[in-house]
Order: sequence, then C-alpha cells, then structure tokens
Amino acid sequence: MTCECHSHNPDPGPVPAIEVSGLKVSFGGQPVLKGVNMKVPKGSVVALIGPNGSGKTTLLRCLLGLQEPAQGQVKIFGESNLQRVMPRIGYVPQKLALERSFILSVREFLSLRLSQSRNWFWHSRKWSDDALRSTMAEIGVEPLLDRPIAALSGGQLQRVLIAFSLLKAPDLLLLDEPTAGVDSPGEDTFYDLITKVHKHHGMTVVLVSHDLSMVYRHASWVYALNGTICCEGSPEEVMNAESLKQAYGIHVSPYQHHHHVH
Amino acid sequence: MFTEAFMIRAFLAALFLCPLCALLGVFVTARRMSFFSETIAHGALTGVAIGIWMGMTELTIPVIGFGLLVAMAIIWLKENTELMTDTIMALLLAGSISLGIFILSLVKGGYLGQVHSYLFGDILAVEDRDVVVSGILFAVVAVSVFMNLNVLTLISAHEDLAHVCGVNVRRVNYLFVLALTVTVAVSIQLLGIMLVTSLVVIPPAAARNVSCNLRQQIVYSLLIGVIGGLGGIALSYHFNAPCGATIAMSCISLFLLTLVIRLFTRKRNANQPLLPS
Ligand SMILES: Nc1ncnc2c1ncn2[C@@H]1O[C@H](COP(=O)(O)OP(=O)(O)OP(=O)(O)O)[C@@H](O)[C@H]1O
Ligand SMILES: [Mg+2]
Repeated sequence: MTCECHSHNPDPGPVPAIEVSGLKVSFGGQPVLKGVNMKVPKGSVVALIGPNGSGKTTLLRCLLGLQEPAQGQVKIFGESNLQRVMPRIGYVPQKLALERSFILSVREFLSLRLSQSRNWFWHSRKWSDDALRSTMAEIGVEPLLDRPIAALSGGQLQRVLIAFSLLKAPDLLLLDEPTAGVDSPGEDTFYDLITKVHKHHGMTVVLVSHDLSMVYRHASWVYALNGTICCEGSPEEVMNAESLKQAYGIHVSPYQHHHHVH
Repeated sequence: MFTEAFMIRAFLAALFLCPLCALLGVFVTARRMSFFSETIAHGALTGVAIGIWMGMTELTIPVIGFGLLVAMAIIWLKENTELMTDTIMALLLAGSISLGIFILSLVKGGYLGQVHSYLFGDILAVEDRDVVVSGILFAVVAVSVFMNLNVLTLISAHEDLAHVCGVNVRRVNYLFVLALTVTVAVSIQLLGIMLVTSLVVIPPAAARNVSCNLRQQIVYSLLIGVIGGLGGIALSYHFNAPCGATIAMSCISLFLLTLVIRLFTRKRNANQPLLPS
C-alpha cells in the first residue's frame, strides 16, 4: 500500500526529532504496525491520521518506550535510549483512567511536573509564578486548581493534562487526541495555545486527531497511518478524497468538518 | 503504665511502626493494594510455621523472607499471566495459609502460644531488639518515602505519565513492594497477622474523610496512625487484650469520628472544602 503522494519530503536536517524505521508491533499474533518508517524534522507540527484501530496510539506508545516493538528502531533526537530523552517530552494520553479515590489535587498534580527535583509536599502551596498563572488561566485550569484530579469531568481532566504536558516547555510534544471531550471554545483555545507555544519555543509537535479540519489548519505535514504509513505529505496533498480513501478504506470527504470552522 | 519496661518498649515500637504503616497506606490505598498487604501478612503465618518447624528462636527473618517470596510470586503472576490481581491474591492467600497450617501440624506441641501471639499481636513479645529494628526501619523507609514523594505520587496517579516524566516505574514499584513487605512483616510482632492490614488501610481511609488534597491526607494519616497506635497500646494494657485488636479498634473509632465530621460539615456546606488548604 505505498502511495504516490510522498513526493517531496522536506529535508529532515542533520538530526530529525523522530526517526522510526521498520517498526513492527503485534498483539497476540495480530500485526498492528507492519513496518512503519517516518522521519519528523525538528520544529515541525505533524499530524497522524487514520481510522480507529489503525495503530496511532500504539505508534505514540512506541515513541515513548511504553510499548516494546517486535522489530524496528525508534530514535528521538538521535537517541535510541528513550529513557534518556523522556524529560524533554510532553505527552497527552488518549484517555487516562484515574483512581477515583486518589485525592491528589490539580495544583499538586501540576507541581509534580514543575518541581521534579523539589518536593511537591513542601512547594505546591507557593505558586506565585505569574507567567505560569497566565498559561493556567488560558488553558482554563485555574478555577480547577484545588479540586481533586479524580473528580474532574473528562474535558476538565483533558485540560489539566494539556497544562501538564506544556509545563516544562518540552522539545517534543506528543498529543493523542488531546481535545477529545473538550468543548469547542476550549478546542480553539488549545490549538491557538499550541500555535503560540510552537512559535515561541519551536518544539516539535505530533498530533493525533480525527478532526480533519483542525489537522488541515494547523499541521504542516500529515501522515496517514493504517498499519503502515500509507500516505504522507502536506495537508493539501494528503487531504484529498483519493489518499483519504487509501487510508480509511472508504470514501471520506476531506472537508466534511469544515462547518465547525468559524 | 509507663513505669514498666515492656510498656515503654511497646509504646516505642508503636510510635515507629504505626505512622510508618499509615504513611505507606496512603499509597497502598491509592493504588488499590490493600489486598496485597493482606496477602503478604497472611504469608507470614507460613514464615512463622517454617521458623518453628526448623527450631528457630528468631522468627522475624523467616517472616520477612516468606513475605518477600509471596510478594515476588504476586508480581510474577501479574506480569506473566492474564489473571486478575484479586484472583492471584486469593490464590496465594489460600496457598500460604494452607501451607502454614500444614507445616504447623507437623510440629509436635508447645508452639500454640507463639502462634497465638503472631496471629493477634502481643505487647509482651516486643523486645529491645524489636524496638531498635522498628526505629531503623522507620528512619530508612519514612526518609526514602519523603525523599521520593514526587515519584511515588506520579506513579500512583498514572504509571505511563510517570514513565514519560522520566521515572523508572518498574524499579520504584519493586522498591515500594519491598518497603511495604518488610514494614508489614516487622509490624506483625505488634499487630498480629490478622489485623496488621488495618493499620495500613484505616488511617489513610479516615484521613481521606477530612482531607481535600494529598498533603492533608498524608499529614492526617500519620497523626491518626500515631494516635490510634498509642491509644491501642494503652487499651491493650488496661483490658489485658491482644494489642492487634485494640489498635485496630482505636483506629476504627477515629475513622468513625472523621466520618461524622465529614457528614456534619458536608451537610452544612456542600461546596466548601472542609479545611483550608
Ligand atoms: N494492549 C493491547 N493489547 C492487545 N491489543 C491491543 C493493545 N493495544 C492496542 N491493541 C490493538 O491494536 C490495534 C491498534 O490500536 P490503537 O490503540 O493503536 O489504535 P488507534 O489508531 O489509536 O485507534 P483510535 O483511533 O480508536 O484511538 C487495535 O486493533 C487494538 O485492538
Ligand atoms: Mg488511539
């Protein structure tokens, strides 16, 4: 299932942010990733699209070292020992099941990320950093700070996770359907924020999303995954009926979500 | 009550072990591991049986040893089978108790007193050396828990996120299980096999009733552990009852107290946090 549209991949530069070669993963004999190759240049915003069960989450988990590949190699910033680059990565998981009885407050949770070397037990009460407060206010977690994290609604939790992933100004941001369950003003704020932070820090962003219109507007490069990368290119190239049909197997209108845009 | 040497020993041991169990308990309950500590505790019966059978005078070593064996078995089964955690626990619980009873039946008489004191806890059984061991354990475990509080909290919140924050999840999990196993095994002397888990579970549960963040839960849990432990020793002396039972009862009384406080204050003001953070 190779495709005609990965014509002019931009020069990845000396060390790409992500380099995946021949990645294979199977679950109980069932192959899920069947040899994925990708090279993501530093500083780009790339989107990963594909139907349910096509292995997007599995691919991100491989990038994080959470899933051992059966075959193939993953390098992040040229480093194949993934544990070593973890501190430079921010991650928003697709869904997070939290223990309901765990009483950790949002403030404490966020200070865990902030003060890895310091102890939240002594420090989470002092939160005077103004820059931080404005980010928190922007993401809309400020009113949630004193609530237990397990008592939040799905969308509120997602906002907190987004804040958590952005806190330490990561060099690589892996977002697995970050705005699933977030209301549409929240979604707009999120993408604006990512665009703003990206302009400022120039970090690399990998975004999994089913919202093709958002992908179209914000990504500079799109990978369509279905077991393998069956199609890649700029949004204009990939988001056409022909290549989407190849990824999704059925006809998908690339602009079907555009009525959300205002 | 404070003039007798055995009472001073018991109070000191409780002062070290009760807050330690309560501190670990905050994470044990957050991670749904209460049944895990129960299983390790019951494994101690087999440790005691093996010790008696082999004619050992010092039973703490076989108790810790067998506790670790059970803990490792739980982890191994969890990683290598599809069984649910509670199934694995029930399996090992039955396995170790039956093995313990079987071994005890091979021993010829005269051990019942010893087994009784291990089952229910005995203040008279606390010796100078036990106090020293508890003190050292308290220092080592409490200091390492507080030094690694960020890591422990992250893992309790979500293991994958902890991994992404650079935590070696596997290593921390093993160390936590080691600390919990040794603490439970040492506390058995005082609290008994039957009730040692109550000191791991009840103080954090009571603290949960009156806390609105994790820091408060840790502080209150430690406090409740100390008060429940010392109060239980005093009750044990007064009523001449096994101190495992009296400590558990005083912890449960404190739990009921916090429950009443919670119900009372929640009704009055449902949206306000109970205590200022
Ligand atoms: N831990 C696991 N054990 C067994 N099978 C798994 C596991 N994780 C994923 N799979 C299987 O791998 C396939 C890909 O799953 P994955 O979560 O990567 O899909 P996805 O592209 O993220 O889908 P979605 O759009 O629904 O999030 C699915 O068929 C799923 O059933
Ligand atoms: Mg997914």
